[in-house]
Amino acid sequence: MTVHTAPAATRPSWMTVAWTLMRLSAILLVPLVWIHVVIQDMLVGVHGISLDYVAMRWASLGWRIYDAGLLCFAFAHGVNGLRQVLEDYIHGRRTRRVLRVLLFGFWLGITALGAAAVIGGVRQ
Amino acid sequence: MQSLVKFTYASAHYRPREGMIAFVLHRISGLAVLLFLSLHIVDTAMVYFQPGAYEEFLAVYRSPIFMLSEIALVAGVIYHGLNGFRIALFDLVLPSAWTIDRERLSVRLTILLSAVLWLPAGVIMGGNFIGYTFLGW
Repeated sequence: MTVHTAPAATRPSWMTVAWTLMRLSAILLVPLVWIHVVIQDMLVGVHGISLDYVAMRWASLGWRIYDAGLLCFAFAHGVNGLRQVLEDYIHGRRTRRVLRVLLFGFWLGITALGAAAVIGGVRQ
Repeated sequence: MQSLVKFTYASAHYRPREGMIAFVLHRISGLAVLLFLSLHIVDTAMVYFQPGAYEEFLAVYRSPIFMLSEIALVAGVIYHGLNGFRIALFDLVLPSAWTIDRERLSVRLTILLSAVLWLPAGVIMGGNFIGYTFLGW
């Protein structure tokens, strides 16, 4: 007699969620980051960028939302990537917990700084 | 010390294949892009917090060494994006494509396409570098 067992329906762990989000955000970030790089680094160039240029760009709500999207997805993807790299070398449970708290603080702090600027705009 | 010598010797004599090359390049480019991204969020935030500091950041980014680093950064962004897209595609859509042959072929194509896409960026940004550094634009 053969016994067929279905895999138990388990909730994915946060690591599985992070694994999937890394890939989904990657697909989103390819056009988002590449368009940003083509416009700012190649078409405009660092010599064409100034406070006035940022003010002009952020006068359009669309570009503010675009930059907010970059901030949210790119930086979270990057910090989680750093966590993955560090956890390849750091195995202790306690050390990993401390590491995750530090990385979360780093992510939150820098994201808050960027969000304040995207919302507040150029100070005249 | 002896283990360091052994490690260095072993590393120098180990020939990585495509999968490991893709992995190492993905890590280096990812860490480099994250380093710049962290700095870039802080510099952009200065338009709100301290506009004068934003101008100072721009002056640093216009220095020759940063203009050259920017060209390398774009190479990293292109490769990391393409290779990440390859991994996401294989993992999420075609997990059966994770065979050694397809891994090797797809890595070669990814590196080739990265170089092709980077070429126009290198020409434009390299032109700017030469113009602003040596020709007094």
